[in-house]
Amino acid sequence: MPGMEVLTGALIYSNLLALLAVGLTLAYITTAVPNFAQGSFAVVGSYTALTVYRLFRIHPYVSLPLAFLMGGIVGLLSYLLVLKPLVRRGATVVTLMIATLALDLILLGLRGIYAGYLGKLTGSPCEMYMFTYLDFQIFGLPAILVVSTLVIVVTFAVLFTLLYKTKFGIALRASMENPALAEIMGVNVEYTRMFAWFLSGALAAMAGCLLPFKQEIVPATAEIIIVSIFAASIVGGLNNIYGALVGGYIVGMSESLVTYWLSTVFGAGMLVYGKVVALAIIIVTLLVAPQGIAGVEWRLIAKKLQKRGAKEV
Amino acid sequence: MLYGLILNILLWFGMYLIVSLSLNIEYGYGGIPNFGKALSVLVGSVVAGGLMTRILMAVYGTKMGIGGLSTATSVVSNEMTSSIQHNPMLGLVLLVATLMLAIAIGAVVGAVFILPSARLREDYLAITLLAIAETVTMICYYDPAIIGSYYGVSVPDFLAFLQGNVKKLAFVGIVLLIALLTYLFFERLMNTPYGRILRAMKENEDVVRVYGRDIMKVRIMTMAVGSAVAAITGVLLSFYTLRVQANSFMITGRTLWTFYPFLIILLGGAGNNKGVTLGTFIFVTVMEIIDFYKTNIVSILHLPVEAVWLEYILFGVMMLLILYYRPEGLIPEKPILTKPIKKAYETRKPEIARIKE
Repeated sequence: MPGMEVLTGALIYSNLLALLAVGLTLAYITTAVPNFAQGSFAVVGSYTALTVYRLFRIHPYVSLPLAFLMGGIVGLLSYLLVLKPLVRRGATVVTLMIATLALDLILLGLRGIYAGYLGKLTGSPCEMYMFTYLDFQIFGLPAILVVSTLVIVVTFAVLFTLLYKTKFGIALRASMENPALAEIMGVNVEYTRMFAWFLSGALAAMAGCLLPFKQEIVPATAEIIIVSIFAASIVGGLNNIYGALVGGYIVGMSESLVTYWLSTVFGAGMLVYGKVVALAIIIVTLLVAPQGIAGVEWRLIAKKLQKRGAKEV
Repeated sequence: MLYGLILNILLWFGMYLIVSLSLNIEYGYGGIPNFGKALSVLVGSVVAGGLMTRILMAVYGTKMGIGGLSTATSVVSNEMTSSIQHNPMLGLVLLVATLMLAIAIGAVVGAVFILPSARLREDYLAITLLAIAETVTMICYYDPAIIGSYYGVSVPDFLAFLQGNVKKLAFVGIVLLIALLTYLFFERLMNTPYGRILRAMKENEDVVRVYGRDIMKVRIMTMAVGSAVAAITGVLLSFYTLRVQANSFMITGRTLWTFYPFLIILLGGAGNNKGVTLGTFIFVTVMEIIDFYKTNIVSILHLPVEAVWLEYILFGVMMLLILYYRPEGLIPEKPILTKPIKKAYETRKPEIARIKE
């Protein structure tokens, strides 16, 4: 049986992964491009939190709203400056994906320059850091578990209200389902895309703000985490926001728990193979159910099973 | 000084040309968005640093000591290097054997690499290829048993019988020769029925299927050839630095060996080997000039940063500008002029001109 520590660690990781995957899915639904820069959006949040802490000694939990805002701005600018001009020219999916790779590289360069600058300003290097020493306990639970769970609950509550209880939400869903039709009905699809990219960057940055409580931020953090984000989005179904939530937990939990289990059987050397679990999940999903969990017609399967059951009787 | 710069441009021109041409047949001709190109370069380096060194250790009877793989490979590499000093033939054999091994393993890895993504749409295909490449890179980085992880492994110097300037000149010559052979090979290959099916596949997969060709077979073959060729650069890289270190692939692998080759073929013109050659030359020249004046650039701009970050931003922006303003590249792809098509072109010139208007 895995200990309490392993379970909470897995849960925290899953919370953050779900946030990141929801952002990726939002951008994919509205713009039809898998965003390879999603990991870099997260790093924007990590550095926002680090800057505020180093300069003003403000706790990273307090700077969550600021991270949200900064990530949102980066996401919005990415859409307006990088993707929108290409979408307008009718660029293919591959072109758009290459553009997000370019965006990721630009963000990596900016991150490097900023880290160097911040390091000089504060007098201590900012290439690698963690916030674990800043964490405390709430009712015997690590605060990061409580905070990350709260963030995800609030995010989904707000997202649900927005999508299903407001007029803007109806317009948003309409333009996700069928952009051309929505446009005919007078919905400005452009706004929904801008909103989706803002939210995508903002959610990723919130996850990034909390990530240093769980693992060390290194120059390659964005690259390390991107495979897991894609795994979470794909297993849930790239076309479904709730799928991303479910996918985040499936990938986060199995990445942590399967590697833990493997390491107890085969020794600690197995811990480095965590990402292989995420990769395996991507491959199996694409082979078995390319549309992800949300795309599987569960009712149809249930019916088939029932029929088979009836025959046997 | 300038001599060194020119030599460096030629060296990296050769290295990048091999990888870019191989990506060009995958993406430019075949339309496979191989976002995991860096994997095949890594495979070449692993063959040189992880496999060939182990074979040599068995030949020389080197025991894995307390220092692990890192120390053992440096022992065997030193031994081999001093043998090569007296026996140039041995160096040549080492190079050829390593290249053959890398080509064979690269082909197998490439073929297996594409299997899970059978029948996928291009966006899912690209994600899967990128995910596989990133995962393998991460494993090589974290697991010291493969290529010594952070500490890296040593590779023997196959040109140990030469010294100083002559040695570098010879190395650059070998790289350029291999790049030339690669170019001729691909030009030849694209003029076979396979080459034409490959281009047809990019345009319309259904048409290829209607004519009774298996898309999956074409994809597997293309990835096998592309990966085998790109693995050559991995081997040459290891022999150039005489070390293989996983951390050099960890952060920069995707940038150097996936993103830059894409930048090159989009700059030069996808689906056109001449364009890609031109693109490689321009890209490498810019990169080497930046590298050459690195310290000057940083001191002029008064930045407390390393020039590499500026380079990333510059090439990222360059890619976006190409995508906006010249997605077809400097030399656009041309239709295949087989004899009947040529004839049709000539007899119907006025008609075509009219349509174009």
